[in-house]
Amino acid sequence: MRRELGMFVALLAMCLLLFWSNSDFLGSSNALNTMRQIAMLGIYAIGIGFVIISGGIDLSIGSVIGLTGVIIAKVSSSSAPGLGLSLWIGIPCALGVALLIGLAQGLLITRLKLQPFIVTLGGMLLVRGVSQTVAEGGTISFGDAPFLQLANGGILSVHGEPLLPYPVLIFLVVVAVGTFLLHFTVLGRYVYAIGGNREAARYSGIDVDRVETLTYVVSAGLAGVAGVCYAAYIGQMSQQVGVAYELYAIAAAVLGGCSLRGGEGTVLGIVIGSAIMRVIDNGINMFQLPYLDENGAPRIWRLDPNWTFIIIGAVILIAVVLDQLVHMVNDARRTRRAAVSGTGPPTESVEVEPSAKTP
Amino acid sequence: MTMGASPPRLLAMSGITKRFPGVVALEDVSLDLFGGEVLALMGENGAGKSTLMKILGGAEQPGEGRIDIDEKPVSLDSVRAAHRHGIALIHQELMLAPNLDIAGNLFLGNEGAARSLGILRRRELHLAAGALLVRVGLALPTETLVARLTAGQMQMVEIAKALSRKARVIIMDEPTSSLTLSESEHLFRIIRQLKAEGIGVIYISHRMDEVMKLADRIIVLRDGRRVGTLDRAEATVDKIVSMMVGRELTNAYFPARPPKAPEPPVLVVRDVVVRGAPRPVTFEAQRGEILGFAGLVGSGRTELMETIFGLAPASSGSMMVDGKPYAPRRPRDAIERGVYLAPEDRKRHGLVLPMTVAENISLPDVPRYGRFPLLNRKAERQVAEAEVARLRMRTPSILQRVVNLSGGNQQKVVLGKWLAMAPRVLILDEPTRGIDVGAKAEIYRHMASLAERGITILMVSSDMEEILGMSDRVVVMHERRVRGILPREGITAERIANLMTGGTAEGAAA
Repeated sequence: MRRELGMFVALLAMCLLLFWSNSDFLGSSNALNTMRQIAMLGIYAIGIGFVIISGGIDLSIGSVIGLTGVIIAKVSSSSAPGLGLSLWIGIPCALGVALLIGLAQGLLITRLKLQPFIVTLGGMLLVRGVSQTVAEGGTISFGDAPFLQLANGGILSVHGEPLLPYPVLIFLVVVAVGTFLLHFTVLGRYVYAIGGNREAARYSGIDVDRVETLTYVVSAGLAGVAGVCYAAYIGQMSQQVGVAYELYAIAAAVLGGCSLRGGEGTVLGIVIGSAIMRVIDNGINMFQLPYLDENGAPRIWRLDPNWTFIIIGAVILIAVVLDQLVHMVNDARRTRRAAVSGTGPPTESVEVEPSAKTP
Repeated sequence: MTMGASPPRLLAMSGITKRFPGVVALEDVSLDLFGGEVLALMGENGAGKSTLMKILGGAEQPGEGRIDIDEKPVSLDSVRAAHRHGIALIHQELMLAPNLDIAGNLFLGNEGAARSLGILRRRELHLAAGALLVRVGLALPTETLVARLTAGQMQMVEIAKALSRKARVIIMDEPTSSLTLSESEHLFRIIRQLKAEGIGVIYISHRMDEVMKLADRIIVLRDGRRVGTLDRAEATVDKIVSMMVGRELTNAYFPARPPKAPEPPVLVVRDVVVRGAPRPVTFEAQRGEILGFAGLVGSGRTELMETIFGLAPASSGSMMVDGKPYAPRRPRDAIERGVYLAPEDRKRHGLVLPMTVAENISLPDVPRYGRFPLLNRKAERQVAEAEVARLRMRTPSILQRVVNLSGGNQQKVVLGKWLAMAPRVLILDEPTRGIDVGAKAEIYRHMASLAERGITILMVSSDMEEILGMSDRVVVMHERRVRGILPREGITAERIANLMTGGTAEGAAA
């Protein structure tokens, strides 16, 4: 929980700084849009969180997001080359395909003992190619369809602007279900155990293969849900949608306290990590400092948008470096404590070990 | 040392102390080594031999103490630094790259002479390698891939590699553990030759006969301290063993266990062929019995236990538990029948180190705590508290992460996890490896009381004292087959040692 708290404080500080420099940051349209962005990233970041906590990795989710949207466009868009069928067919089709992709990858990884990195790298390229083929290399527009309301509409409207856009609503449901699964069920416990020590989990009689496969299904499934939101948000689908999104999700998970070694991380942390990623993204556009130039005329200094990746990259590196330093200091302290209390000459006493107390 | 001035003192370690979280691995240990000497380092598992040698090899840094080479203080802060000072450590698990040839391995990381501008001069490399192979008596082309070599040949490549670095101190950690008899003989010849060249050899081994044959001096470690030094002339097996084991171990250390009347078998293993084993295995374990499994490393005991626990299905044969057929294909199948395994390598197979004591104890059984598919944290807490109390685990709380516990308490967590589930057959593979003396005695007491309650225990152990002190009967394995099953009144160290090295119970010369 320490990591989550630290990142939450960092997030809060960032928001305050941005609000101080530019009050539009919390203006209704920017705040709403940032929330929507956080929600859509958060949905699939929680998905990949399942995989990462169990010690795996999933590089295919950006492609799955893209394919989901492309399938919906192909099946349900009324403009060419869409088939113009009902969304009630298009969306379930797309989500079904996403789940199948996760299942196939999970089975390859667990049954054939293939490395997750390679399997999902192959999946990433293959699924991307399928998107391209389905979209026939071009763009399929949704036109003015009511489908777009899924991203832009919401509930609790004030002055025509929804207070809770649907993507945020979906995100809250995913957060609730994800928290429930990971932290309150036996399945969640197994996910952590497998990530902490796969072999020990197997020696404890856990069906490691099945649980691991399931994490890939969850990851692809939530990528599918995010894909539906993105399709509605963008309004037209090409094979470019979703490129490199998996990297954002991994970064969000790691920022939020997941370890790529597995066994660590929480849904809350991933939510905070996703928020940080999106606030940085947004902050680069919003941040401004007024100053007077040499002629005494008021000017406004802004961040160069070209620095976006430099800043995001630096934030990720600083976060993991700080975390590692804290770990190292704690380890050293533990060793020193052990040295001070000592175990004493073992021949002297059998019963008493001064370093620890019996509860 | 009070030796004459003639042989130069190569190495002196003094006051070496090393602490790890929760344990003191070495406490004020001193050691010196002269040129042309074989110094045997002996001690039980966990006595601190490996840590001491890792410090000498530059892989670990001592907390306190000093190291002198040629009477000058040195700092061995990396493996490279140790190499520079002429120290070569040959690990028990050989550290060769199987995908490279012999010459490539010999100069790996030390291409120096044979490299110009980063390009390897192949011809020179192979010429130099050939000369080294002659010194270790290995008649093989230097282009041979290391993957094709036998364990003995790899050992020679390791020694040649040490020689290529102009090593003057060569440390060998259990060098014969995977060698055949004739390969061992060859190794001994080479060691004598190294001695003649003035090289100092530190020889770590559990095998008394080798030590008596090779060593000029013997240093014995116990629980991280040096308990004594013996010259070859005064050394006897009895003396060494009593130093290694310590007096308190022989008395009052093992709980008194009266001979038990024969009872019906709980586990029957009939003609079971473990994958890769040459012969089927047959034995029975009775109710409330501690059945010891003795043998050398690699004798197939762990593999047999893994088969019984369902980790690797048997190729043929049959098993029964409580008179009903038993054919586990996964650990879950074994667990359903009350057959549990506490594995040899606790940290790799037994525990999820970053998880808490409570989470580790509940792991195999948590779906049955009620409220499935939800976690029943209340039941989990109660079970964990009960096991912590029963096993007298020393942990600040059940919410402590297992990684922070000492070896003995970690082993208790593994035991607790299975004891909470009413075992029928409990397999304990090296139950006290790496555990301090106090915790060992406690674990023996628990084993005795479990057996008294009618639980069958299969105890794999490489610790002869433990086998002798705890077993009702002993199964002795050698090269993956059962060489003999000794009844309680027939258990002697000599018989077991003969059987596990391939002889008969009555003597090695069969």
